[in-house]
Amino acid sequence: MTQELISANHAAAVAAVLAGRANRKARGFGGGAYPITPQTECIEYLCKQTIEKGHIIRVESEHSAMAACMGFSLAGARAFTASSSNGLAYMTENVFAAAFYRLPIVMMAVNRTLGPPWNIWVDHGDTLALRDAGWIHLYCEDNQEVLDSILLGYRLAEDRRVLLPVLVCQDAFVLSHTMMMTEVPPQERVDAFLPPLDLPHRVTDRPRTVGGLDFPHESEVHRRQQQEAMQASFAVFEECREAFRAAFGRETPEAIVPYRLDDADVVLVSMGTTASTVKAAVDEARLRGVRAGGLRIRLFRPFPEEAIVRALAGKKRVGILDRDLCPGLGGILWAEMRALAGRDAVVQNYMVGLGGGDIRPIHVRQILDDLLAREKSGAPVFKEVGA
Amino acid sequence: MEIRLHGRGGQGGVTCAKILAAVYARLGKSVQTFGDYAGERSGAPVRAYTRVSDEPITNRNKVYQPDHLLVLDLSLLGDDTVAGLAPGGTLLLNSPEGPEAFAAKFGAFRVATVDATGIARKHRIGTRSVVIVNTTIAGAFVKALGIGLGVLEETYRGLGLSSNFQAAKDAYESVRVAEAGSPAGTRRAVGAGGAMEGARPAPPPATAKEVVPLQEHVEGPTTGLRTGNWRTQTPRYVENLAPCNAWCPAGNDVVGFVQALGRDGEIAASAVLGRSTPFGGVCGRVCPAPCMEGCNRREYDGSVNIRGIERWIADKAPVARLAAAAVKPKRVAVVGGGPAGLAAAWTLALEGHRVAVLEGEPELGGVLRTGIPTYRLPREVLDREVEAILALGVEARCGQFLDRESVARLAADYDAVVLATGLQKLQSLDVPGARLAGVEQGIHFLHRVNMRGKAVLSGHVVVLGGGNTAMDCARSALRCGAARVTVVYRRTRAEMPAIPEEIEEAGHEGVEFVFQAAPIGFEGDGRVSAVEVAEVEMGPPDASGRRRPVVTDRKRRIECDWVLMALGQSADLGLLPAGWTIRDGRCFGDGRPLNVWAAGDLATGDGTVTHAIGSGRRAAGLALRELGEAVEVFSRPDRARAVPATDIRLDHFARADAARDITVPPAVRLSGFAEVSAGIEGRTEAHRCFSCGHCTSCDTCLVYCPEGIIRRTKGGYDVDYSYCKGCGICVTECPRKAIEMSAS
Amino acid sequence: MNEPALGGMAQTALDRAEPILRCGNTNCGGCGMSVALQMLGRAVGDRKVQIVIPACCAIVTAGPFPFSAYGAPVVSSTFASAAALASGMAHVARLNGEPTRVLCWAGDGGTFDIGMATVSAAAERNEDVLYVCYDNEIYGNTGGQRSGATPIGAVTSTTPLGKDVEKKDVIGILAAHRVPYLATVSLAHPDDLMRKMRFALDERGFRFLHILAPCPTGWKSEPADGIELVRLAVRSGLYPVVEVFNGRRTVINVKPEMSRPALEKYVSLQGRFKEKGADWDAAWEVILRNWKDLEARVGV
Repeated sequence: MTQELISANHAAAVAAVLAGRANRKARGFGGGAYPITPQTECIEYLCKQTIEKGHIIRVESEHSAMAACMGFSLAGARAFTASSSNGLAYMTENVFAAAFYRLPIVMMAVNRTLGPPWNIWVDHGDTLALRDAGWIHLYCEDNQEVLDSILLGYRLAEDRRVLLPVLVCQDAFVLSHTMMMTEVPPQERVDAFLPPLDLPHRVTDRPRTVGGLDFPHESEVHRRQQQEAMQASFAVFEECREAFRAAFGRETPEAIVPYRLDDADVVLVSMGTTASTVKAAVDEARLRGVRAGGLRIRLFRPFPEEAIVRALAGKKRVGILDRDLCPGLGGILWAEMRALAGRDAVVQNYMVGLGGGDIRPIHVRQILDDLLAREKSGAPVFKEVGA
Repeated sequence: MEIRLHGRGGQGGVTCAKILAAVYARLGKSVQTFGDYAGERSGAPVRAYTRVSDEPITNRNKVYQPDHLLVLDLSLLGDDTVAGLAPGGTLLLNSPEGPEAFAAKFGAFRVATVDATGIARKHRIGTRSVVIVNTTIAGAFVKALGIGLGVLEETYRGLGLSSNFQAAKDAYESVRVAEAGSPAGTRRAVGAGGAMEGARPAPPPATAKEVVPLQEHVEGPTTGLRTGNWRTQTPRYVENLAPCNAWCPAGNDVVGFVQALGRDGEIAASAVLGRSTPFGGVCGRVCPAPCMEGCNRREYDGSVNIRGIERWIADKAPVARLAAAAVKPKRVAVVGGGPAGLAAAWTLALEGHRVAVLEGEPELGGVLRTGIPTYRLPREVLDREVEAILALGVEARCGQFLDRESVARLAADYDAVVLATGLQKLQSLDVPGARLAGVEQGIHFLHRVNMRGKAVLSGHVVVLGGGNTAMDCARSALRCGAARVTVVYRRTRAEMPAIPEEIEEAGHEGVEFVFQAAPIGFEGDGRVSAVEVAEVEMGPPDASGRRRPVVTDRKRRIECDWVLMALGQSADLGLLPAGWTIRDGRCFGDGRPLNVWAAGDLATGDGTVTHAIGSGRRAAGLALRELGEAVEVFSRPDRARAVPATDIRLDHFARADAARDITVPPAVRLSGFAEVSAGIEGRTEAHRCFSCGHCTSCDTCLVYCPEGIIRRTKGGYDVDYSYCKGCGICVTECPRKAIEMSAS
Repeated sequence: MNEPALGGMAQTALDRAEPILRCGNTNCGGCGMSVALQMLGRAVGDRKVQIVIPACCAIVTAGPFPFSAYGAPVVSSTFASAAALASGMAHVARLNGEPTRVLCWAGDGGTFDIGMATVSAAAERNEDVLYVCYDNEIYGNTGGQRSGATPIGAVTSTTPLGKDVEKKDVIGILAAHRVPYLATVSLAHPDDLMRKMRFALDERGFRFLHILAPCPTGWKSEPADGIELVRLAVRSGLYPVVEVFNGRRTVINVKPEMSRPALEKYVSLQGRFKEKGADWDAAWEVILRNWKDLEARVGV
């Protein structure tokens, strides 16, 4: 186990390489590499590595990057790619296809504002637009979690009870380009954690058509089976966390991550690095005597509804911080979980840090103050943070 | 009211449903129409629906219990199809048969039928394999439901389908309806009484089957789709008449022996050839080869040298057939030992009958021996084939010409008599000087040459005529001392009846030709010294299709020392006893059929060996049949049925020149009567044969079948009709018309 | 032709034990692509293949999951990405030292149009993929809309008055990528076809075969006439039968007759040119120009 000062982009690439090498005794590793700010560093690192029984295809588009991953995966190899923002939007068709084909691909996404106009800074709208694509979504809070989520993601994705692709999301620049000390496990530990991939439905030399026709009945069953796999993945996720602890001797966060939540009356819910700032604001509020708490949603798909209901039980006020916007509705996180709080709770949505504005503790405090002042839930609030 | 329609992709079922809806919309009803959309392909079963109501329609479901049902393709008709149809409801079927044909099975319904495919095909709607019947059958439905033609016409105009209205009108006028066997009830009546509920076939069950997860490994079996029921026409392997076979007067299986030679070699080919002729070696040398005229390769790159092939086969593998044993042998006398008589004798002897051939000349062979010079037909070839006939047990009685009385006696003494005396009457010229010395019949000259070994001529010999006898005279004259030979013919070279190769060889040997000249007299003092000829102009075609020669008064003299007349021959009927006549190859005495048949030139006057052989075979067969024998009587096939060149896919064949006969150089050959031609070299010429109408197992159909369902069988191919979509590529691509399409 | 087609190899030990396209498929009767798939099966023989097919008629014909009208492993890609997905599969075969040949089997829409970037990129990377474009000059699967391969003058459901621009020169495009092997394939010349398919299967790197595949439904022609249409296209000079090695050495495999009557027959056998009426002189000029270009490339 070594400690390295690396960016989360770098951490993701390191994890992908470790996972890729771990499959050298099986059918190998591959992926598509295509640049887009702020993900580029990741694939640059990847392209500089020599991976035994591995090959990274320098494709001409994100669409092809995912297609190449599907090719690797269908042929039984472990597959990886990374993208961001408009790249993900361009890739979308194949993002869906990978999930429909039940391929255990892992993709790292750096969350970035969709354009035009062009904005390279953090916003969760790009990956949340893929929330219905049939992928498992993990949103990370720090560099270590990015690395760990990729390793854990492969184990989760490749479990026969799951066989779903995994999307590991991290905030643009705040993580992607921020270097922090990150524990990098040695290859043999990764080898032990990630057994060789044996994809049950990989393409062999025998006749079989993957992706012919589905009539309505086939589709209704195949869709149900996707949902069943998603449901099964909650338990597998926990098993993977357990195995992760055993393999690497440290924890990786739960599906939802509470912060000083137990006795809190007022809760701020967020995803990604916003949760770190929320922690600071919660600590500061507690000093003022406000019984505040935080809740981070790490696993966004499948949506850990029961865990959230348990966590929010009895909470009087819930503020949901969305770094995304569904125009015409409001925050996506809010829309998904506003019904999960207690019946009498005030549930208020705050759009904050859209387009990558720097969410500082003061902004969170202002939100908290607004929330505390409310008698009942209101329309979504746009909390502008400036630059 | 709900209507369901069953059709196949490409028939236009959805449009048909739309037409019906448009008709009712015009009548002021609320309508709705839609189709099933899936992986519909040309020929695949599809459904379409029309809903009609007085009230606004809110039902968005498919139609499970239709009031009326249309079936655009009869192969779709089954229990599944009519499932849910209301008893008494109209079941409109696209069928040329009347509704009564369906009464037994579908008597609970009001069955209507119309030949929509026939009508649409007549109006050329769609393609041959996918006939679009929608606009046609809609007319029948409208009539069956009692709606006026005017509404239909307006609807078609409104939909921009006026060009198809005539077909709809034909259907409107020709649809036939049989009311339901039980009292016709509407759906409403059924609902009220419920008595007929039991007659309504159950709609398809709404249960779901197991679905394999996408992430499971399964080897996909092929679909259960029997695409054979998409088919509207069916390819079938056939044997069609090859033109060479159609053209061969002897009835040889020409394509059969040519293909056998190419495929299996001389012995196999000889077996085929020997089935129909005892004279392969003879015909391989002297036959005018009508087969080569008919050959589909003729216009492409030259006819297959069939004559050369026949000679090759007969010389390399002379056939020795054995006579069968007849249960009750018949006694037959054949008068005349020429090719017709010998062919008749051969046919009879092969069947095990006792045959005596009566020949006036000292040896058998007829004109083959007396007329045809040996440089064309060496006597050893003729002898070989005559001996093979005699070896079957045929008795030869030569050297005595018969008279009327002896012919009549034969008829009494024998079970049957075949007369094959040939053409004994020679055409002569009734012009001044015809009796001068040095003017003689070419046939007599040839007889001298052939039977006495030699005849002597000298100086300039003029031969009159353009047939094979003329050529034989001219070329023999050169070999008998003539200094110069000129053939005078009244028409043009193209119209000469002689074998083209003979004319060509005559030219090579130095024979000169004067065309469009008719002899009008001979000059000379006791002995001929010149022929006077008149110039001939070519007039309009006569009955034979050749242009009629018109003699002008422009004259010229051709000085000469000898004249040989080869102006044609005809049958000498003087041999027939009084009261006998010949009709269709049989002799009649005072109008009653006799046990006497005529064969060869006596019967037909065609004047070739090959015709004689066919005629002899036929006469023998007719005689045997009359005598109660179960034999197949040869008859000439109908040339009109032969595969035309336009049916041959020439692109499959590389152009290649025909193999020509090898000949001795003229300077050498004129020194005697040795055979001029050595025939072809090798058997590769057989590979040029198109094998018209006869499958050669060339695999073309197999490799082009889009479905991969044509498989080799012993000697041919099988089509798996449960999957054949009837596209017809095998038929179109067959190089030789050995597959045909028929309506399914 | 007295020698059996393809030397009589079909359905012998030299042929593939199971056809690539099985019966029970849902292609229209007389589909040129079906004929091409039967030929492909014979060319493949005992080689191991994996086939990638984008959204098109060729994948619909496979039938509903888990059934397969293909007697070979087939993967469907999204419309634009056959060459990219195949690239991934080809690398896995190579990484594992497997002899498997990875093929793309795509229509003209998936090649000339939406898939062009993907094809171009795979060609540029020289992926070990055999890309076969069955060109029916139309979006057949969606019912007959124009594509970049639709010839000028052809009526489609989106060019009701006939297409007013020329077909893309896909051979020129691929030649410019200097791919190791590139060929046009005539279904009417099965020996040439078989030689090219086998060569392309065994060659390494990116290979591209273009097959003119008549679509009776879209071309409004008799299903039975498909092969004859290809033959006429070749005879007239409309469809050059060529191969190009490394983007440089160009070989003309079938010398066309340059027959204008053949062109007229080609057009008259199809309904799709009826609307506009054929501009013979213009069509002929295009053929002559294309041949001039081609001959310049060959160095005639």
